[in-house]
Amino acid sequence: MFNNLRKYLSSLRFTILLISLLALIFAIGLWVPQKRLLKAIYLEWQRNSPTLVAFLDALGLTTIYTSPITITLWLLFFLNLSLVLWQRWPIVKNRITISDAKIADPVTAGGYPFRRSYPLPGDLDGDRVVGLLRKNRYTVLGDAAGFYGVKNRLAPIAFMLFHLSFFLVLLGGLISVYTEFVGYVDLAQGESFQGELNRYNASPQPKLPKIGSPPSVSFSVKSIVPRVVQNTPTGISVLLVDDRGTTHEVDINRPYSTGHSSFVFNHLGVAPLLVLKDATGKEIQGSYVKLDVLKMKPDRFALGPFTYTATFYPDFVMDEGKRATRSMEFNNPMFFIAVERDGKKVAEGLVPKGGVLEFAGYRLELLDMPFWARFYVVKQRGLSILYAGFAIATLGVIWRLLFYRREILGAVREQDGVRCLVVAGRSEYYKSLAEDEFAKLFGDISGKA
Amino acid sequence: MAFWEMVFYLVSMVAYALAGGGFIYSFVFKNPRVVSKLTALVAFGFLAQTIAIVARFNATGHLPWSGHYEYTLMGGWFIIAGTLFVGWQNKQLQGLAAGTVPLVLIMLGYGYMQNPGLTPMAASLKTVWLYIHVYFAWLSFGAYSLAMAAGVLFLLKQKSEAQEVPNPAYDRFPSLGRLDELIFRYVVFGFITDTIMISAGAIWAKDLWGSYWAWDPVETWSLISWLTYGITIHLRVTFGWREKRLAWLAVAALSTVIICFFGVNLVVNTSLHVFQVR
Repeated sequence: MFNNLRKYLSSLRFTILLISLLALIFAIGLWVPQKRLLKAIYLEWQRNSPTLVAFLDALGLTTIYTSPITITLWLLFFLNLSLVLWQRWPIVKNRITISDAKIADPVTAGGYPFRRSYPLPGDLDGDRVVGLLRKNRYTVLGDAAGFYGVKNRLAPIAFMLFHLSFFLVLLGGLISVYTEFVGYVDLAQGESFQGELNRYNASPQPKLPKIGSPPSVSFSVKSIVPRVVQNTPTGISVLLVDDRGTTHEVDINRPYSTGHSSFVFNHLGVAPLLVLKDATGKEIQGSYVKLDVLKMKPDRFALGPFTYTATFYPDFVMDEGKRATRSMEFNNPMFFIAVERDGKKVAEGLVPKGGVLEFAGYRLELLDMPFWARFYVVKQRGLSILYAGFAIATLGVIWRLLFYRREILGAVREQDGVRCLVVAGRSEYYKSLAEDEFAKLFGDISGKA
Repeated sequence: MAFWEMVFYLVSMVAYALAGGGFIYSFVFKNPRVVSKLTALVAFGFLAQTIAIVARFNATGHLPWSGHYEYTLMGGWFIIAGTLFVGWQNKQLQGLAAGTVPLVLIMLGYGYMQNPGLTPMAASLKTVWLYIHVYFAWLSFGAYSLAMAAGVLFLLKQKSEAQEVPNPAYDRFPSLGRLDELIFRYVVFGFITDTIMISAGAIWAKDLWGSYWAWDPVETWSLISWLTYGITIHLRVTFGWREKRLAWLAVAALSTVIICFFGVNLVVNTSLHVFQVR
């Protein structure tokens, strides 16, 4: 019973079943909105179909990548992989071991589909045949009377390497999950950041690491300069100055990395410096206001006793009496601001940089128009192990499938009064390819190519 | 689209359409003599497509690596390049174009309906990882497409040979045994390049999005596709799946790659892999 179970758990049939089930689960995860990955869509869906969502929640299908069934499948997968590697190691060891016992008669030895006989020219002795095979990167045992040759003898080790790389990926992945800190922080030009937890955006809530601490950093944002060409964002230059005075440039595809932490540029907004003054010119309130307005979406803020709705036009133009933007390039930046008090509209108007909106005895001055950047902050360890896993997997699969193993048996002997090279050959995976190669190799050696 | 790009794009489509129709004619009407002429027509279409790519490069200053249109333009180029290369190496394999040319024609038609406008390279694509990731993605798609074409050819030839009077159009093509091995070799090539593509993508994603793996729909489908071809290799090597079963598997498995490249964005709009410039 136990032996049967172990046999099944270590079988390829079981591997294929597990891989198929995992693939199915991944596919389900694409169709069922995932609570963690697509929170907004999930919540909307939950509002529309509460019973169905509750049912799928109960089955774990809305957190499918971390659901108990998926974890169980992964555990079984790695158990299966361990058992397979354990069982295959003696076979691999045996296959890479080379001994005289492998020398056999090329005419009668079983399992060699390629068999030929080549007449040898008089000046070609058996030792030279063996020498030529060695020159063709064959490891040869024996002599002209009978030899065994193998090319890419160690290829079966690549099987172990490829499958062991999965464990490295698992280990790196687990370390990264348990040490992971994830949070978002919005920083405007001129702002400093010392890694304070309360400065991270409340939504989505920062994910604290199970092991280790949040990022320990200290820098200030020197400048933020977006680049837009023909309506396409072609880059952003965010200059950060750390506490040692070193400047770091952040761009898309180029995060600020320090220790195990990365600050990845994620989002851009405008942070105008707005000052509200009363009729006497006395400042009531003023600050840089981070507005998320770059996708032509209005944003709201409060200053003094008023609330404001701001719409941003990067390249403002009046088009048939309507406010519009010619492009997404920052050629003529302009705010349209609507002012409200106690829910009633007080005023509205266009405000460029350096402009003023006057209403009800107040002045709203727009003194500067810098940008703010949202950083995706992530700290995790184990990435080097994970990348090593990727590298070994790639090397393993290339080694195993491209540098496959060829074996030959041969002997120089008389046949019908003619001295011949009698050979047999076999290879892994590619029978026709190897047979063509054997025919060319032995044809070349015997001068019959 | 740039003017000359448009001209040569259309020329290549016409050449592929004529060649695709010709290949179908050669099989149905049992006329194998036209295959080499049709291959020359495919080569002509390939030349026109290459000029279209050069014209676009000249207009935008970057290789066409982004957006659905550019993906189909460059991806189709890789598939046809692979088809012509194997046909040049072994004349018996020129018939693979019967499978790959219609596929590329559909891709080009689909791409044309997407976003062929001339746009600068988006910031997110300005990295060396783009070239590694996308280049290997297209190599794998090209190899898997050739595996599919070899599978189709195998199934047609096997059916023909089962008839009393086999269709002579298939005589030019490799034996069933060789076709069977070819399917496997293309799958292996695709699997290796797929592995490199996924690894490179994960490393790139860490710098671009901050996470090497985020269960993004395209990421997930690429994993499903990789697993499917992994299973195919295991079935062949360990369970000895050959010939008809392997051929059907190669044909069916390509659907996972097509879904990954083109299907996901049609039904899901949450992927970070928006194959469009933004």
